[in-house]
Amino acid sequence: MIMLAALLLSGCLQTDDRTTIVVQRFFGECGAVYGTSTDVATAESECGILMTMINAFEAANPDVRVKINVVAWPGYPQLSAQFAAGDPPDLVTMHQSVISDYQARGLLDPMDGLLAQAGITAEDFTAAGRAGVIKDGQIYAMPWDTVGGLFHINTALMAEAGLMREGRPILPESPEQLLDHARHFRAATGKPYLIQAQVNDPATHVRNLYTYLLAQDAQIFPDARTIRINTPRAREIVKLLRTIHADGLTTRSQDFSAATQAFTNGEGGIFPVGTWMIGPYEEEARTPGRPLYNSYAVMPYPSLYGRPAAFVDGHAWIMPKRKRSDPELRAISRFLGFLAERNYDWTRTGHLPAFKSVLDLPQFEALPHRGDIAAMAATGGQLPAYVQRQSAIQGLLAEEIEAAVTGLKPVDTALEDAERRVNELLSQML
Amino acid sequence: MSRGRDRISPVALVGLLIGAAIMVAPLVWTLLLSLKSNSELMRDSAAAFSPPYTLENYHAILAASLVPRWLLNSLIVSLGTTAGVLILCSLAGYGFARLQFPFRRTLLALVLIGLAIPEQAVILPRHQLFAQLGLHNSYPGLMLPGLVAPFGVFFMTQYFRAIPVELDEAAMLDGASRFTLFWKVLLPLTLPAQATLGVFTFLGSWNDYWWPLISATTSDRFTLTVGLASSQMNYAQTSGLGFLMAQAVFASIPILVVYVLFQKQIVRAMAGAAVR
Repeated sequence: MIMLAALLLSGCLQTDDRTTIVVQRFFGECGAVYGTSTDVATAESECGILMTMINAFEAANPDVRVKINVVAWPGYPQLSAQFAAGDPPDLVTMHQSVISDYQARGLLDPMDGLLAQAGITAEDFTAAGRAGVIKDGQIYAMPWDTVGGLFHINTALMAEAGLMREGRPILPESPEQLLDHARHFRAATGKPYLIQAQVNDPATHVRNLYTYLLAQDAQIFPDARTIRINTPRAREIVKLLRTIHADGLTTRSQDFSAATQAFTNGEGGIFPVGTWMIGPYEEEARTPGRPLYNSYAVMPYPSLYGRPAAFVDGHAWIMPKRKRSDPELRAISRFLGFLAERNYDWTRTGHLPAFKSVLDLPQFEALPHRGDIAAMAATGGQLPAYVQRQSAIQGLLAEEIEAAVTGLKPVDTALEDAERRVNELLSQML
Repeated sequence: MSRGRDRISPVALVGLLIGAAIMVAPLVWTLLLSLKSNSELMRDSAAAFSPPYTLENYHAILAASLVPRWLLNSLIVSLGTTAGVLILCSLAGYGFARLQFPFRRTLLALVLIGLAIPEQAVILPRHQLFAQLGLHNSYPGLMLPGLVAPFGVFFMTQYFRAIPVELDEAAMLDGASRFTLFWKVLLPLTLPAQATLGVFTFLGSWNDYWWPLISATTSDRFTLTVGLASSQMNYAQTSGLGFLMAQAVFASIPILVVYVLFQKQIVRAMAGAAVR
């Protein structure tokens, strides 16, 4: 009995001598389905694919324990609180557009050396990925994907409007052509050419504006404290958006959910929205009887001004600044290397890869529509690395652009106000 | 009261029914949405009003490994906070209502000023203080801020003041000590107020999101509100609407139970009848 008790006690007291790294992520909880799965290839959804990857890493690295901290989207209030408490995690998922906010305050560790240990250099990243993670000449995150706006297209309605050629949608090549296509589409189908989430979705208008300003190589932020948005180029773009709205060429007063349903149910031709909707719409396209059945295509934003461009963002893995032991650093390096080798699997979510090598993989090209949109990994552009508070700026711009598009304010006034408000915000930066 | 005086006019009845329907409609809608699959709702959220219905969203919640832990955390924090508030506010209320001591009015005024200070105004220093004390990711760290309850102190003070002083005098004549007077004579008389304050404190603590969000940063210390929020995918309102609504229903079940059990106290409190 004593021996048995001693054995049980020793079992209870057995310590975990594995090296522990704390990984904090968003993308939700899916432990019910993928809690113990290591089969990355069959996992689905952002959460499922990432969870199985981490499970697989632990299975392949029995000396490392990965403690997962799932945070409410997007997790930045918690991360900031963890910094304030002096106890940040080891690795954290972060949008590339947010990295500057933390990097500028010295809260992140550069990761060049750690990634080099895993055999990763900046040259391995796509152009969009590099632009998102390199600040002041150093790598401050491992890019994980590129996300951005795309034209999701109902090809059946486009065919009805005569806007298909050899099975591919015909997209406009100038603002005037876009209006022509849209008017023709509406006359032929009785439905709006565009479906847009214009309510409670600040990204919609700002994505359009940034994309077409980047296409003209406009210097939107000449320095860290100045935005230049009250310009002839910006006015032209916003006036185009205003005309689309005023002439009834788009759905109106829809939030993201309503717009998503409208496109799913064939209520318009094109839904400009992000890479993340490819999966759900592809599923609709494979379901007989659904409005999108065999009638779905997705393309990058058409080149209306200047060169092909897309305003993009992306997810990345950052490493908060804190003291770490050598075994912990080695474990983190191995973890990042493991993830990088599986970046292809992540692209099954609909996002574009952050590693150039994935773009050339036959299995990536074989994924639905990826051949059509892969160019965005090269044409995708971000705001300069020194621009902080990008989310707050987006909110301010969206309010003003929305006022201009819906006719509440003249376009000139809205852009003047937008520039003033953003510059006020930037002037208050520490 | 005669039965005739209880009778309600048809017009008022119709008005009340319409009002009740307006109040209940979002709750019913939430419940129906929670019983539909996410993919079906992504196509058409109006599908909530027609069968078939499913429990798959509730299954997904219960299957998440940490949900029982989050439930336990919420219970510990809510019950602990409620007990602490009742003890502290009763003592403070008794003191302000019955004891004479220097600066009593000034102190009460200081406590009441707390009613005018929003939590957001003190969140940074409080967070730093708790960080220095190593209280984050702990039950005391989650409970302590809730114990600062100026409304509770005011509420209990008013209730004690409403109790006739003659009761104190009689008890003192019988040789009761101050503590015996408080514990055996006055405190039992405040039970309606205690119940009201307790229910409101429990509800507030259970529903709290902001402080647990930034104080509990490891999954095993999340309360139910923060844990369920962390379970949501991005764009949950579109591609995970059923799951989102099931979470809302699930999180509100304990609140519903508390409401059913303490309905009388809540209604009395809302009607302002708890303080006589």
